[in-house]
Amino acid sequence: MFFYYLRLSALSYRRNPILSSLMVLAIAIGVGAYMVIFTLNYVMGGNPIPQKSDQLFHLQIDSGNPNTESDPPEQLTYIDARALIEADAAFRETPSSKISGIIEPEGDDARPFSVIGRGAAADFFTMFNVPFLYGTPWDESADRNLQQVAVITKELNERLFGGEDPSGQTLRFHSSNFQIVGVLDDWAPVPKFYDVNNNPFDGGEEIFIPWNLVAPMEFSRSGNTNCWKAPDPGREGFLNSECVWIQYWVELRDGEEEEDYLQFLNNYVAEQKEFGRMPRPMNNALFDVEEWLLKEEVLPNETKILSALAAMLLAVCLLNTIGLLLSKFLGKSGEIGVRQALGAHKGSLFMQHVIEAGFIGLLGGIIGLGVAAAGLEGIKVVLGDDLMMTDWIQLNPPVVAVTLVLAIFATIAAGFYPIWRACNVNPAIHLKTQ
Amino acid sequence: MLDMKNIRKVFRTDLVETCALDDFSLTVDQGEFVTITGPSGCGKTTFLNIAGLLETHSGGQYLLDGADVSQLGDYARAKLRNQKIGFIFQSFNLMPDLNLFDNIDVPLRYRGMKAGERKERIDKALDSVGLFARRKHVPAQLSGGQQQRVAIARALVGDPLFLLADEPTGNLDSNTAQGVMTLLEEINDSGTTIIMVTHDQSLAQQSKRNIHILDGRISNGTESNSQPEATAA
Repeated sequence: MFFYYLRLSALSYRRNPILSSLMVLAIAIGVGAYMVIFTLNYVMGGNPIPQKSDQLFHLQIDSGNPNTESDPPEQLTYIDARALIEADAAFRETPSSKISGIIEPEGDDARPFSVIGRGAAADFFTMFNVPFLYGTPWDESADRNLQQVAVITKELNERLFGGEDPSGQTLRFHSSNFQIVGVLDDWAPVPKFYDVNNNPFDGGEEIFIPWNLVAPMEFSRSGNTNCWKAPDPGREGFLNSECVWIQYWVELRDGEEEEDYLQFLNNYVAEQKEFGRMPRPMNNALFDVEEWLLKEEVLPNETKILSALAAMLLAVCLLNTIGLLLSKFLGKSGEIGVRQALGAHKGSLFMQHVIEAGFIGLLGGIIGLGVAAAGLEGIKVVLGDDLMMTDWIQLNPPVVAVTLVLAIFATIAAGFYPIWRACNVNPAIHLKTQ
Repeated sequence: MLDMKNIRKVFRTDLVETCALDDFSLTVDQGEFVTITGPSGCGKTTFLNIAGLLETHSGGQYLLDGADVSQLGDYARAKLRNQKIGFIFQSFNLMPDLNLFDNIDVPLRYRGMKAGERKERIDKALDSVGLFARRKHVPAQLSGGQQQRVAIARALVGDPLFLLADEPTGNLDSNTAQGVMTLLEEINDSGTTIIMVTHDQSLAQQSKRNIHILDGRISNGTESNSQPEATAA
């Protein structure tokens, strides 16, 4: 009977095309607007590494200004990052910081160009499940021995080496020669959880080098730097200062490792306090990925306001749909009476009209996808400056599925009262007056 | 087959209480052709609705094919209507969006019949009323008389126990009305019981038995060709 009722729904649409189209439009607008914000929240607020987000932790060490009550800094100083990476106390760990530099491609006609890169430890790639197209990441010995190796992205490889495997080839970067050991496959976590301090929604880095090279090779920092007191002059003065500019992630496999590492941090900070550093009260913490994204309020505030407005618009559209469905279904009282006379019980009439409501919802959802796509393009204009990279603002298969399901079930829910009213008409009255 | 004893039907609103049927008793046997007559508002349609399980009764007993229907729920009543009763209405009540085939298909769908058997029955029903060739047409493409014949085919397709006809010729001209009556007589001759409400005394006289209702009660149940007497039931 499902396909029979579906056919009846199509015929009913044809009988009242204007009324039915109004309902479809109402659903499309409400669902489309809601799905624009849903998509943003889903992509921006989702867990970018769900398979191990509860094993990855960002450190918090409070090396902040003792004269204020501000929150602990979100990044680490160079002194602390160096000390922690040398202590090697976690199962896996990596400091990382954003850098910039100039690449000098080979060839007389090739022009140098600037790239954004990242200094990271060898563990970075394994910790964050970074996929490789060619080659492999460097190993810990490359970190220790300050080897000038690099991993580049697929796009950069395409630009420099025509997409072929460049493993072993030399790349002139920052006026030095780096040996390419690997090429990343497509990898663009959204948000860029490993560095939320430097716009988590901008484009990813194009080149990765061992973090231990960042300071000695005097790479330009491209990220967020905060200093609560002025550093001493010169590069060494900066490196030894309380300026924070480094992200630090650890991988801890279970609760026991988590406890042990936190204790290690506490011991480290206690030791630093003896040297006169970190005068604020002990406030060390480990935040897993989701906690970190929540703490850092990665989702822009604008989306929260837009979420509320979109939900209200959807509610208004559904209320309108209730009225329109009531008009449509009560207008069919005569037909309902005839069907009852011919043997339809209330259950079958209910099912027929639920399917009709779902049919309208499906049509509304399909058109709503168009509304959502247009809305997302608009969002790119509204938030584009804040988000810098907006390629990911688009409908993906899960969002399309949610749109259609939401449209169908929202319309069915809106239709419950009209359907109930319609199924409870007195057939005797309507049969005589037909 | 249809046995009503002391049926009472009261319609209540906030302001008024109307007794549409009062102490109404009627027995209809298999194969009869019974016409129900009476002035407007006498209770004819109320009787028809109760007989067709479209209304419940306020008192009395109604046995349909030997079973008491008074305690039946919506599902059971719908099933009985589908299997045992065929309806024919004054305004035909065909569904305008469905072609003739699909209109007649409706009661069979609710019976859960398979597609092959449905098709066989529908084709036979359409053929019996001479409209098989127009099975893909919609009701708007037919005359009044043709539409009523389709409605009759729809009422018969499920082999009901009896037909309930509410002024089946009311919207037809005299010639067409006579054609429909002839068809109903043929149907009755083949064994189907028919209970027909009509204003038309000439049609009432064509039936084998006439029941005259006055103020919710049977004034006289008569054989054909005799005038009803205005006496209390």
